[in-house]
Amino acid sequence: MVAIVEAANLKKTYLLGKIPVNALRGVNLKVESGDFLAILGPSGSGKSTLLNLIGALDKPTEGKMLIEGVDVSTLNDNQLADLRRRIGFVFQFFNLIPRFTARENVELSMSIADMSRAERRKHADDLLETVGLKERMNHKPAELSGGEQQRVAIARALANNPRFLLMDEPTGNIDSKTASEIVGLIKSLNEDKDVTIMMVTHDQRLALQAKRTVQMVDGVITKEIVN
Amino acid sequence: MKSRDVFSYSFSAIKLRKLRAGLTTLGVVIGIAAIVALLSITQGLQDTITRQLQTGFATDTLIVSAGGGFSLGVQGEASSGFKLFVNDTQTINKIENVTMSMAIIQKVGYVQFGGKNRTVTIVGVDFAEYANIYSSTFVAESGDISLNPENNTVVVGKRVSDPWKNETLFCNVNDNVTVVWTNASARPPINVTYLGHVSAVLEEVGGFGIGPSDYAIYIPISKAESFFGTNECSMIIVKLKNDDSATIDSVSKAIKEAFSNEASVTSATAVLNILSSVFSVITLFLGGIAAISLLVAGIGIMNIMIVSLMERTREIGILKALGMKSRTVLVIFLGESAIIGLLGAVIGIGSGWVLANIVAMVFRGGGVFAGENQAATGARADGMSITPVLTPTVFLGALAFGVGVSVVFALYPAWRASKLKPVEALRYE
Repeated sequence: MVAIVEAANLKKTYLLGKIPVNALRGVNLKVESGDFLAILGPSGSGKSTLLNLIGALDKPTEGKMLIEGVDVSTLNDNQLADLRRRIGFVFQFFNLIPRFTARENVELSMSIADMSRAERRKHADDLLETVGLKERMNHKPAELSGGEQQRVAIARALANNPRFLLMDEPTGNIDSKTASEIVGLIKSLNEDKDVTIMMVTHDQRLALQAKRTVQMVDGVITKEIVN
Repeated sequence: MKSRDVFSYSFSAIKLRKLRAGLTTLGVVIGIAAIVALLSITQGLQDTITRQLQTGFATDTLIVSAGGGFSLGVQGEASSGFKLFVNDTQTINKIENVTMSMAIIQKVGYVQFGGKNRTVTIVGVDFAEYANIYSSTFVAESGDISLNPENNTVVVGKRVSDPWKNETLFCNVNDNVTVVWTNASARPPINVTYLGHVSAVLEEVGGFGIGPSDYAIYIPISKAESFFGTNECSMIIVKLKNDDSATIDSVSKAIKEAFSNEASVTSATAVLNILSSVFSVITLFLGGIAAISLLVAGIGIMNIMIVSLMERTREIGILKALGMKSRTVLVIFLGESAIIGLLGAVIGIGSGWVLANIVAMVFRGGGVFAGENQAATGARADGMSITPVLTPTVFLGALAFGVGVSVVFALYPAWRASKLKPVEALRYE
């Protein structure tokens, strides 16, 4: 199998005010197509920083971040934007655009990727059906529950047929019953649709659903478990 | 992102904050409306005045006065004591390219009739020569202008006969009116009078010009000389063979030389040129003032875009995380202010045009009573009818200016929005 994500001695230092914070201190990680990886760790361990680097939202301070064999550090602004279109990002706080309906939110990522109007409408409807929100697609985020919003966010992340999904605490902001539904959805995406998933979580239970778990402490990976 | 999608995204952001966008647009509307209203009124005024001067003036004439410059109908006092006399026409007539010349003596006085007074300009002219030069305006509406008038013949302007514009006449043809002039240089000042016979009422001339006026009465030059007790004239009008600028220049020069450079010579064309340059300054000045209000609107746009940038930092983070390019973020922000600018400009041009017409209407309506008052005090300005003119240049200029100012002031906020780093923007609360 081909590694679609490969981190080699990845380091990231950023400034918190004037104090430099070593968020990542040399992470080595390989993720192959079809994998379902959970990244566990206490807060401040660098999980989200790692996820941002994998998602091409940020550039590493040192080391290499290869996505499909391409070093992210060598890409310019436009190339990074192009790369992000091939990555699906799901956030803890959903990050939907409040003035758009569920359907429009899903369509937005496709319109950014230059998809035609008719095509994206159909695709958005299909995706919302996949995540079980067909009936509520004309509602705005404020009219949807946390779980429903997260489903919209997942549908949006899938819109441009991404190489992999990145999830930052996808169940961190929803109740446990809804969370297990979301977990079920994520799992089925990986198993049935063969979507590669990398997920940051606090949730031990959710981590157990993944094929593989890595434990992070203080900016390094300390443990790797294959479930 | 396709441009249509960019546009609809910008539009959705504007729609979200209708009141805010509305008020911002209002700023542009006011600026553009002020520009359009001021410029179209100025343009209308210029057109009206130019037209009236062209009828009042004959382009193939020169006006010679005693110096101190020529100022619309008002007699300049020569500082050097140089005076122009009626018989100076003989000197001028000898100059090459001069067809003829005629002297005018004019003073401000009264006409009394039926127990009422009206202030008028009493103008002494040779009727035949005057009619020859101002053939289109020195024309009788009723009665006859005799080219060989009796000594007591009086021709009156339209507004002297019908000062209230309502057919209630002050005097009419065949009335015998008393002409009064106060000789202020006599000690003590005395009123001199004589009884004149109104032989004709002139057609309405409108506005003001150098030729016949609606507020003047005309008496034979010989009568004026004896009545005013002087043969010093106010001005001499010179008719040229043609209105070529070479002819105008050479005759002007020759006349000045003939009077040892003490007489002042004005050509109608020169006055029109001065007027048009005065108007371009006025236009520029008024346009500049109006542009300031648009500048204020522009700062309003910048302010609102910066607020919008703060509020939408997270949204921009999301867009970038979804793969939107910095350039597209820039275009979305510029698009928002361009929409506001375009909307404001279109509404502004419309309301500016309406405003200009309202002002012109008030001007016209006000002209009726203003005219009455002014006639009573002897002023010459009639209630002029101004038709505002919206030239394509002003229309397109206002449109471009409105959109341009909006976009320019949005450049900085838009640039800042486009430069936001996705990670930081997403973390922004």
